[in-house]
Amino acid sequence: MSQDASHEIQGALAPYRIIDLTAEIGALTTMVLAGLGADVIRVEPPGGHPSRRRGPMLRDDDGSSLYWAQMNAGKRSITLDLDDAGDREHLRTLSETADFLFESDAPGVMTSRGLGYGNLHERAPQLIYVSLTPFGQDGPKAHWAASDLIGHVSGGLSSLVGDPDRAPLRPSVEQAYNITALNAASAAMIALHARHLTSLGQHVDVSMQAAMANTLGNARLYWEMDQILTKRAGGARAFADRATRIIYPCADGYVAFVRVPASMPRLHRWMTAVGAEPRFDAEYWASVSIAGDRLPSDDEIEALESEIEHFFIARGAQELYESGQSFSVMICPVNTMRDIVDSPQLAARAFFCEIEDPALGRLTVPGAPLQMSATPWQTRPAPTRGQDQDEILDELAQIRKEPDHAE
Amino acid sequence: MTDRNTPGARVFDGVRIADFAWVGVGPNASMQMAFHGAEAIRVESSQRPDTFRSGGPRPTDDRSLDGSAYFAKFNRGKRSVAINLAHPRGPEVAARLIAVSDIVTESFAPGFMQRIGLGYDAVRQIKPNIIMCSMSMEGQTGPHAKFRGFGLTLQATTGITGVTGWPDRPPVGTGVAYTDWVATHVALIGILAALDHRRRSGQGQYIDLSQFEASTLVLDAGLIDAANTGRTARPLGNRDTRFAPHGVYPCADDPSGSDRWVAIAITTDAQWRALAQTMNRADWLSSATLRKTTGRLSAQDELDAEISAWTSQRTVDAVEQLLQAVGVPAHRAASVRDAHEDPQLAHRQHWWPSDHPTIGAMSYESPAWRLSDTPPPRPRRAPLLGEDAAYVYRELCGYSESEFQQLIIEGVVE
Repeated sequence: MSQDASHEIQGALAPYRIIDLTAEIGALTTMVLAGLGADVIRVEPPGGHPSRRRGPMLRDDDGSSLYWAQMNAGKRSITLDLDDAGDREHLRTLSETADFLFESDAPGVMTSRGLGYGNLHERAPQLIYVSLTPFGQDGPKAHWAASDLIGHVSGGLSSLVGDPDRAPLRPSVEQAYNITALNAASAAMIALHARHLTSLGQHVDVSMQAAMANTLGNARLYWEMDQILTKRAGGARAFADRATRIIYPCADGYVAFVRVPASMPRLHRWMTAVGAEPRFDAEYWASVSIAGDRLPSDDEIEALESEIEHFFIARGAQELYESGQSFSVMICPVNTMRDIVDSPQLAARAFFCEIEDPALGRLTVPGAPLQMSATPWQTRPAPTRGQDQDEILDELAQIRKEPDHAE
Repeated sequence: MTDRNTPGARVFDGVRIADFAWVGVGPNASMQMAFHGAEAIRVESSQRPDTFRSGGPRPTDDRSLDGSAYFAKFNRGKRSVAINLAHPRGPEVAARLIAVSDIVTESFAPGFMQRIGLGYDAVRQIKPNIIMCSMSMEGQTGPHAKFRGFGLTLQATTGITGVTGWPDRPPVGTGVAYTDWVATHVALIGILAALDHRRRSGQGQYIDLSQFEASTLVLDAGLIDAANTGRTARPLGNRDTRFAPHGVYPCADDPSGSDRWVAIAITTDAQWRALAQTMNRADWLSSATLRKTTGRLSAQDELDAEISAWTSQRTVDAVEQLLQAVGVPAHRAASVRDAHEDPQLAHRQHWWPSDHPTIGAMSYESPAWRLSDTPPPRPRRAPLLGEDAAYVYRELCGYSESEFQQLIIEGVVE
């Protein structure tokens, strides 16, 4: 546990201001950029951003959202009613002071409010305008109704996730949103470097479907090459028309272990060393290539997996992790969230930090997702609704007073 | 939007990356920069080749290290040299390349770069404003720093596997090297932020990226919840704590063995009414309980059964059309083939064709973003192993022809 003391040193993106108008799909984008030091202004509707009421809650009241605290860490907050002409004008003036604007309305909605890329570009030519949508700004599905689940299935990943005898699955944490959010942050950084060349902002169009379609591993290539359709195979690696088991039960949960050839002699040494008396032929299994021509029979695989399962089931996940890794076996626990909080590795790296949240009090929060030596990650709390209203509106009033300000 | 077939803009023109990383994350990150104009040079080895070079798919009979479409997927737009870093002169050659580079990326086991004299402290002696990014599984420090893994197993360490599955069965994970797609972007964002910082300050820096830590970003409130309340999120199948009905349902094409499913996600009360109307369920429309999400959440078993019965009598095309026409979020659970043939992705020209002398013509993904004013040109094909030796050693590193030949004879350059 570390006290965060990085505030004296600025983050890498400290000079930049970001306007965040996104729904949940973009929350992680601006959270990451805030962590890198940018001044992120969360623009909330008058009742507060809907995700302030999203669980899990810290306490029994619905004003203690841990989702909000996590996904909006390091941002400032202003309340603006985009249905109100005066507030829309505030947003236009604010856009003159900003480097990025992120929005996630359906294509055309922002333009109908006079806040589209074309509307703002004239007054704020420096503004990098990033739109996150399910399918992109144009095309046959651009106006399809969507959600995280729809984004997930539309890119094809669900066909590789889940048990074969049941429906395709999505992870129970919103991955389509979060993968899209990270793509949007990458794209925004590229557009920032482009601005150094052109001195102009531009419109960045990020598609959730495309972001998810880029997670298919080698499966789409197998289809294109030989019309081999890779399918979900339960707790296994989906690989062309065969799968390799990954998930095994152990004494107190599950572990992940992939039967790659190089691991097999190490597994054999490990089992021998702990007195488990392996029966499988390490040399044979080391020569079996997953992608190659020598394929073991189903019976051989079943016998091997049952032997491995027998070995794992007698031991705990963390014990298998420490012990197996000491023999260079690629094994790891199927961690629960609580296991991660208890991780000795994360503790040694002081990953979790304590912060003072203005609404929730003292909180333990995940810290830096990457450690940058010159511009450290900034771990800061999420804002209360409209907490920076006066400061930001005063700044906008000053701008309007400037003689060369174009109304 | 600018026509994407125009020559395009090379945003990172003049930025050079010495990419010592291998397999998924590092090469994927440097490829995104290469797409936008950076000169990314894969520093490889024929003794210890990138495992993707020997992996599949291999579209032609070429069994060499140049025949893998999977390697090509991660390395388009780049150059390649092969150095034997275990040779006493290997690090010296690598240092010459680093001296003319802006960014060094690596994903060796922690300690390796230091052992060959190319740790960050040494690298910044060679090039003071270098940006160096190490991207190992669990970071450069800590008791698990040298633990082995890859995306398929790391997703279990990072908690993704544990929240993916049915509540009544073991967790399954995603079936792909999922954390690769997360850590790639965290690395890319960090490197590009560091590069921007260097423009202003002249200062380089070192980035210690733990793929484990980076990948926890996508857990939403999972960790903050566990850390402050002791709760731990569990897999919910396709259900959602906030929305109902919310699932993936079988379609009439399914009995043919075509494995057809449609996802339906009711996220508002208006969508619920539209669904009920489309399904001709007057009883649902008139039910005060079902009008609100809380009521629908408690009736999920029944609703899912009824929706399954309805979708099972229709093709996936019909369900998509019926529901999207009334604004209900619905989409087929796309197979890999569906993604390949998807009309929306085709509209975005998402799959970029690339011809290659040993792999042949294949298409590969493009970025999920479209830039209105600086769209990238189509990238050069992936490099053959060591293909750019002459350019890199002679032109960039400044070796004379006889020095270059000597490096080859000595086996430093492979």
